[in-house]
Amino acid sequence: MAQIVLDTLLGHFKNGEILQTGSQHGNEWARVRRDAWLSVATFLRDDPTTAMNMLSDLTAVDRFGHEPRFDVVLHLYSVDKKHRVRLYGGVPEEDPTIDSVVSAWVGANWFEREAFDLYGVRFKGHPDLRRILMYPEFVGHPLRKDYPKEKRQPLVRRQMGKAD
Amino acid sequence: MSTSAAGPGSAVPVAVVPKAGSGPTPAVIESVNVTIDGKPHQFPKGTNLLEACNQVGANVPFFCYHAGLSSPAVCRQCLVDVKGQPKPVPSCYTPVADKMEVTTASPRVLDVRRQMLEFTLLNHPIDCPICDKAGECTLQKHYFDWDAKFARNDGIKVHKDKVVDIGKHIVLDQERCILCTRCIRVCDEVAKTHELEMANRGDHEVLTTAPGHRLDNPYSLNTVDVCPVGALTAKDFRFAMRAWELSSTPSVCPGCATGCNVEIHTARGHVYRLVPRINQAVNKHWMCDEGRFTYKALHAERLAAPRIGNSPTDWDRALEEAGKKLRAALDADASKVGVLFSAQTTNEDLYLLERLAFEHLRVGKAYLAGRDQGWHDDILVSADKNPNTAGAIAIGAGRLKNLMDLANDLRSGAISALLVLGAEGVLVGESAAAAMPVDRLSALVVIGTHTDLLVDSAHVALPLAAWAEVDGTFTNRLGMVQRIRAALPPAGDALPGWEIVTHLARRLGVTLDFSTPKAVFTEAKQKLAFMKDAEWGRAMLPVQLRFAGSRG
Amino acid sequence: MDQSIAPSSRRVVLGVSEPTDDALDAPDLPTEPMPLNMGPSHPAMHGTVRMVLDVEGEKITSADVQIGYLHRCFEKESESATWTQVFPYTDRLNYVSPMLNNVGYAMAVEKLLGIDKQVPERAQYIRVLVGEMSRITDHMTCLGAGAMELGAFTAFLYMLKAREWFYELLEEVSGARLTHSYMRIGGVCDDLTPDFVPRLTDILKRSRVVLEDVSKLLDRNRIFRDRMDGIAIITREEAIAWSLTGPVARSAGLAYDVRKDHPYLVYDRFDFDVPIGSVGDNFDRYAVRVEEMKQSMRILEQAMEQLPGGPVVVNDPRITLPPKSETYNSIEAMIAHFKIIMDGIHVPPGEVYSFTEGGNGELGFYLVSDGTGRPWKCRVRPPCFPAVQIMMKLLPGLFLADVVPTFGMMNMIGGECDR
Repeated sequence: MAQIVLDTLLGHFKNGEILQTGSQHGNEWARVRRDAWLSVATFLRDDPTTAMNMLSDLTAVDRFGHEPRFDVVLHLYSVDKKHRVRLYGGVPEEDPTIDSVVSAWVGANWFEREAFDLYGVRFKGHPDLRRILMYPEFVGHPLRKDYPKEKRQPLVRRQMGKAD
Repeated sequence: MSTSAAGPGSAVPVAVVPKAGSGPTPAVIESVNVTIDGKPHQFPKGTNLLEACNQVGANVPFFCYHAGLSSPAVCRQCLVDVKGQPKPVPSCYTPVADKMEVTTASPRVLDVRRQMLEFTLLNHPIDCPICDKAGECTLQKHYFDWDAKFARNDGIKVHKDKVVDIGKHIVLDQERCILCTRCIRVCDEVAKTHELEMANRGDHEVLTTAPGHRLDNPYSLNTVDVCPVGALTAKDFRFAMRAWELSSTPSVCPGCATGCNVEIHTARGHVYRLVPRINQAVNKHWMCDEGRFTYKALHAERLAAPRIGNSPTDWDRALEEAGKKLRAALDADASKVGVLFSAQTTNEDLYLLERLAFEHLRVGKAYLAGRDQGWHDDILVSADKNPNTAGAIAIGAGRLKNLMDLANDLRSGAISALLVLGAEGVLVGESAAAAMPVDRLSALVVIGTHTDLLVDSAHVALPLAAWAEVDGTFTNRLGMVQRIRAALPPAGDALPGWEIVTHLARRLGVTLDFSTPKAVFTEAKQKLAFMKDAEWGRAMLPVQLRFAGSRG
Repeated sequence: MDQSIAPSSRRVVLGVSEPTDDALDAPDLPTEPMPLNMGPSHPAMHGTVRMVLDVEGEKITSADVQIGYLHRCFEKESESATWTQVFPYTDRLNYVSPMLNNVGYAMAVEKLLGIDKQVPERAQYIRVLVGEMSRITDHMTCLGAGAMELGAFTAFLYMLKAREWFYELLEEVSGARLTHSYMRIGGVCDDLTPDFVPRLTDILKRSRVVLEDVSKLLDRNRIFRDRMDGIAIITREEAIAWSLTGPVARSAGLAYDVRKDHPYLVYDRFDFDVPIGSVGDNFDRYAVRVEEMKQSMRILEQAMEQLPGGPVVVNDPRITLPPKSETYNSIEAMIAHFKIIMDGIHVPPGEVYSFTEGGNGELGFYLVSDGTGRPWKCRVRPPCFPAVQIMMKLLPGLFLADVVPTFGMMNMIGGECDR
């Protein structure tokens, strides 16, 4: 359905930035090298054939037991051409950083904050990378597979007069 | 293998309960060429056809076959088509032959598989809601995978005895038995007793004990493991917890120096049972009954909080007090300060204690303690009832004396302070207090798991996390260093032994900077000869049994 | 009220505030910036959200919208539940249109299983029927509550009266007013009640009357229009850049409705329109929702007419529970029942992003399966998440009083935004 997107990508990026592509259950996907993340995403937005002007979703997956441990998953959509693509960016555990795509889609702001909050992936260049769903004093990243579901954290008492 | 979803582009691991590696590789044997489902493969001559098919992923179901037992081909579930044979062939009974062509999923084979399951299910009672095996039952699994058809019979079933007290640990339900005879073979071939047999014929055939016998051998609970259905159930586990709620963590039994590989089955922070894990080099598929019950000690009478004297306190205060008392004793006369190593603790605990005691504090006396010797046999059970004697002796390097020497030193006053890491077996019995007068010590710091006599007599008692709560290694009687994994969080405020040693060291002015057990292991592996081939293994999450397949 | 008088130039005299003559020429009174905390416990912050505002007088200079007060770990819990056990969690996502969440999730799992084409036709029609009913209840709640916050209590009660008829019917069908858990993988849990069609026809007739009444109360109401017109305008480009979908985006002129652009279930068999706004202000968002409700009613009437007979769940013994008469009387069905429930349905390894039109926009489910009976990851792409995000850009420059209708028309459902 969106094979044209994959073809355009493979036609434009010739230096191994696109590690792998495929199609499963009607979704086309491409695995992107981490250092090419922003350039590939921006290209998809600007190129007239793909025209991915809307960011549908940005999240992360913890592939515990595999290298690289985290996959940042980006779903892009074109409202004009009505096609979608999924991009994977592998992020290793020792250095969980990847470029932020806020410069390409301003709406990615909160999505990236959520991926940071729940998985610990840091987005370089994000204007305001702080926790969004958890309270600021929370320790850890709860959606990681080694964070036990039953773990409890102490309630935090705010000090009087201290703004946050 | 850990469970995870591989991203696109990588091979997807099947979620299975992690098993230990297999034993030593066999010597080079002649290979034969076999075609399975159209694909050519090579196997060593003499390989069992069922094993061969399942190795390549053909997933042939079976009930009576067991890799550790002889194969009688009674259940007929593993029938496959072999070219040139008029009837389907029981693959568990057939060795591979050169140029064999096997079909494991032809319409005839699938039909025969369904028929066998239909026969097996014909008289099976509708017990799933009350049967312990539900959730890990092989019959459920094969029915669901291979035969999803509803019953054709009228539902009237043959009735047999349902709650038969067949032995000390085991209850038999004759109706659920599918007559696979695995349990009989366990008693015959593993335990070498012959207590079980089949009686009667046809659909009245029942499992029963041989005349004059009960199922009372020291390996009886292995029959519960191998039983594919809920016919044999352990009294200890019966109705205690549902199998699918259990999470499995691989570890090593601490019952004796054999170090049988086990899986610890936990739910909600509580251990419910231990079952053997396959390791061809150590325990094959089995473990003894005594080892299975070692988990009970994890939840009874644990020292949950640090103590000063008899009052519970927090870690900071207890460590400070312990540091003060030991520092005073060391400053007075370091040659009269003793350290007690335990064969019950991990190599990592022993290694750091050794570094602290000998390298930094230069204590005068060191001893080795552990549980007393016990009965043994030539099947699995070792007389030495401690899991890490070999490790303790190797790390001690000849500097450790025994408990008799400790008793003498206490009585003669040659020792004024004692630091104990692992209190088991030191003060045991009513006359212990007289034989080991620990009240004469000016400083007694005990790091122990349970509230026993020694912990009660201590000036400072620090809670130690038990074997099922820590990551570390044990060395068995064959010198193999085996990894144990934490299945539960430590009881109360307990911490692993190596971590307590680092905290105590800091109070005594010594820096032992380790933040993970893996870091301790890595250093110990470099320094200690017996650990040079040891592996820490990869990070694993506990596997929830409901998502890992059946057992049995 | 004459809009040229800025509120800050009223002079309060003896507790009575009235505009004075010289106020027409007076410059704005000097003010000091003040941080103001709205929420999370606030009558207008439905769904518990906290807004830390910097205000100068009545004008907001910066807004920090803080969500997460209703975070209940949907994803983490889904990772330790079977595929079917996730359905009650999905109910509690967008809890004013729970059927739409159920449908979205069921469709995603069916795609992973590869049975999405085998869901019986009757089940698909039932999904459309209850889904559109849920969409109507969603919009009724949003508009009713939004109007109430501006003082139009009557409109609120009228909407809730109509909403209650839908809830009663959904309760008859599924057993609960809100937490239906009506869908199953492969179809729906149980068939519709025998008198569903006549009941729904009657409800639609009465609801149309209610919508008329509310329209008469609000559409040309001076106060309502003045509070809503021209406030918090979103342009089409902004809607795309900020990932907006649903009524909020459509009111801004972005013609994107999943039911029309990527038809799923049997939506391509119905004749309905998708209202698109022109200005993108609060009133457009209100008007789009009103019109959407009317279109949903059209869909419901057509679906009832076309409703076929047949099974309501796919006929696969490894996915669907066997009938109870078999389960209690034969070991085979007992085992099948057991394995499906305890092990969970074995979904082959893979990943899928499946999207439907939820009450607030594109409701996406990104599922990752590792081949076992439970999800490895079960992500919801919440449609109101970007809508609350854009509030951070819309609020600065607005008056404090405008926060209430703006937030109301975004229709942030806490359960969906925070999950």
